[in-house]
Amino acid sequence: MTEKYKNLQLFLPVYIIFLLIYVVASFIEPTFFTWNNNVNLFTRITPLVLIGIAQTFVILTGGIDLSVGSVIGLANVIAVSLPFVGTPGNVILWFLVPTLIGLAVGLINGFIITRGGFPPLIVTLAMGVVWQGVSLFILSEPGGKVARGVSLYVTGKLFNFLPVPLLIIILAIVVFQLVLRRTAFGRSVYAIGGNETIASESGIPCNRTKIWVYGLSGFLAGLVGLYLSAWMSSGDPLIGDPYVLNSIAIAVIGGTSLAGGTGGVLGILGGAYIWQLLNNILNLMAVSMFYQYIAKGLIIIIALAATASAGGIRIGAIFRKFGIKGVK
Amino acid sequence: MTLEKTSSIKGNRWGFVSRNRVTFFLFLLVIILFLIGEIVSRGFLGYQHIGDILRAASFLGIVAIGQTLVLLTAGIDLSVGPLITMGNVFICMLLNGLDVNNFWAFAVLILLGLVFGALSGLGVAYLRISPLVMTLAVGSLVTGITLIYSKGAPNGFASPMLREIGVGYFLNSIPIIVVIWIVLSTVTIVLLNFSVYGRKLIHVGANANAANLSGINVRLVKTIAYAVSGATAVLAGVFMAGYTQTAFLGIGNQYIMWSITAVVIGGTSLMGGKGGYAGTIAGAIILILVGSILTLLHMPEAGRRIAEGLIILIMITIYFRKRGRN
Repeated sequence: MTEKYKNLQLFLPVYIIFLLIYVVASFIEPTFFTWNNNVNLFTRITPLVLIGIAQTFVILTGGIDLSVGSVIGLANVIAVSLPFVGTPGNVILWFLVPTLIGLAVGLINGFIITRGGFPPLIVTLAMGVVWQGVSLFILSEPGGKVARGVSLYVTGKLFNFLPVPLLIIILAIVVFQLVLRRTAFGRSVYAIGGNETIASESGIPCNRTKIWVYGLSGFLAGLVGLYLSAWMSSGDPLIGDPYVLNSIAIAVIGGTSLAGGTGGVLGILGGAYIWQLLNNILNLMAVSMFYQYIAKGLIIIIALAATASAGGIRIGAIFRKFGIKGVK
Repeated sequence: MTLEKTSSIKGNRWGFVSRNRVTFFLFLLVIILFLIGEIVSRGFLGYQHIGDILRAASFLGIVAIGQTLVLLTAGIDLSVGPLITMGNVFICMLLNGLDVNNFWAFAVLILLGLVFGALSGLGVAYLRISPLVMTLAVGSLVTGITLIYSKGAPNGFASPMLREIGVGYFLNSIPIIVVIWIVLSTVTIVLLNFSVYGRKLIHVGANANAANLSGINVRLVKTIAYAVSGATAVLAGVFMAGYTQTAFLGIGNQYIMWSITAVVIGGTSLMGGKGGYAGTIAGAIILILVGSILTLLHMPEAGRRIAEGLIILIMITIYFRKRGRN
């Protein structure tokens, strides 16, 4: 089986499900299939795509990052607490400080995990609590503000036509797909997730790669915090909390196996859309917020049951697990 | 069976000594923290206050029973938070302040805890879903059900008997909830160390493959551990209702992190198979003590969180160092 065919098998089901949901939604609600609603969707999906990519990189190495939520919150409160006047220098500062702090936090995570040989789960969980505490010190309750210009620019349209969020999504997926498939770093990520001992023995710098993977995750989480600050025009230290579950769910629905080594960022867009569309449709159908918790829980369980043994959604896998054969 | 016997004898000789050393150290830390508390604020060592600390620790300790079992199987249970909230909200709504409903409300809720715990267990053991995500998903389900049942605004309040459990004193000296915790702890420790299931649990956590080959039903052992965790979480939520009198939708959130922290402080390895409940008891008391001392020092919530995170990092560093030397 060639790699291209494997990729197709991995990511095609996600997009088929996405298209199905999209078409059904368009029939249920006429306003759904309008440019405005789609632009609105791009805005909502951008943070999900970015954080999904971050979590995918970490999961591909066989780890997990539970601190993404806190890093988003940290970057968010820093972004709204910076003195901001609106000069170009200030915009650069506003952009660089939160993302670089995110990067630093991620690198610290990676350093502790690789140096100590500790499980990523507990390290990122503990560091997440620490950084959440720091965010609460900076901003104890929702508030703060960003300059209106920046806010309009980030969620606005380029040349009055191209939505900036769409640009961010496309750029992120293209760049990180190239990083994963065309660079030594990307190949190392897959190799480590496949079998770390073998990767190490074939000369791949496992620890250095893993530190940078956690650094990348922190950087992207910082970017999401920044995006949310511009979108909401205010800060909230706990804004990132739902993104821990969201990021893992999107990575898994997008075809990445939690065991590491298989998957990629191509499925992320589909995963993020499925996750967000379900919210949208349930809202449009006037289903109570309360039922959405149940829907999300069930979707994760089903997606995981299908992908636990191999990447990608394969309904047949569920049946096989219960001993029913013949379903592909 | 011979395999299990020999390894358990060997495990007892060395495991018993080293395990007790860690536990002794932890209880020494408890005493030191009590003394520090007395230095920070006079009256910390008062009879009443020690009772309050132990009462707070007992709620956490009861949740941590299940979390200890699950971590011993090399899993993790993040659904304890929603399950605590569920127990807390449901008991108030079912009892509505009346004693007549006590028995069946208790029975129904324990059963619910067992069912949702077992659901996580089935996903982890039979579908081989990562415990982290499976319990997160089940937690999401439980949150949804709690919100739907309470319509987002829980009403009702605890019955007189439940209130007595939450705030009353046994023989006018020890809080009743602490007595319950002592009884549950004794049962847990005896079961973990001397029952067939306890030995199987440790073996499954240490090496699931080897356990499977030696004839242990690994899947069943794991499922039972998660089911117990569900039940203890709901039970803790029920007892908390006795203390707070009314239901609160956010009551369980903190306990996800706290229960894991208590178990990790107690020396149970996240890789499974190592540790026990005695350390967790000390871990729960230490966590509550640190929080109490920080509150006395006028540390805001933010500082307490930072302290919690750092405690975990320090403890895993100590435990991993120790294992590395051996």
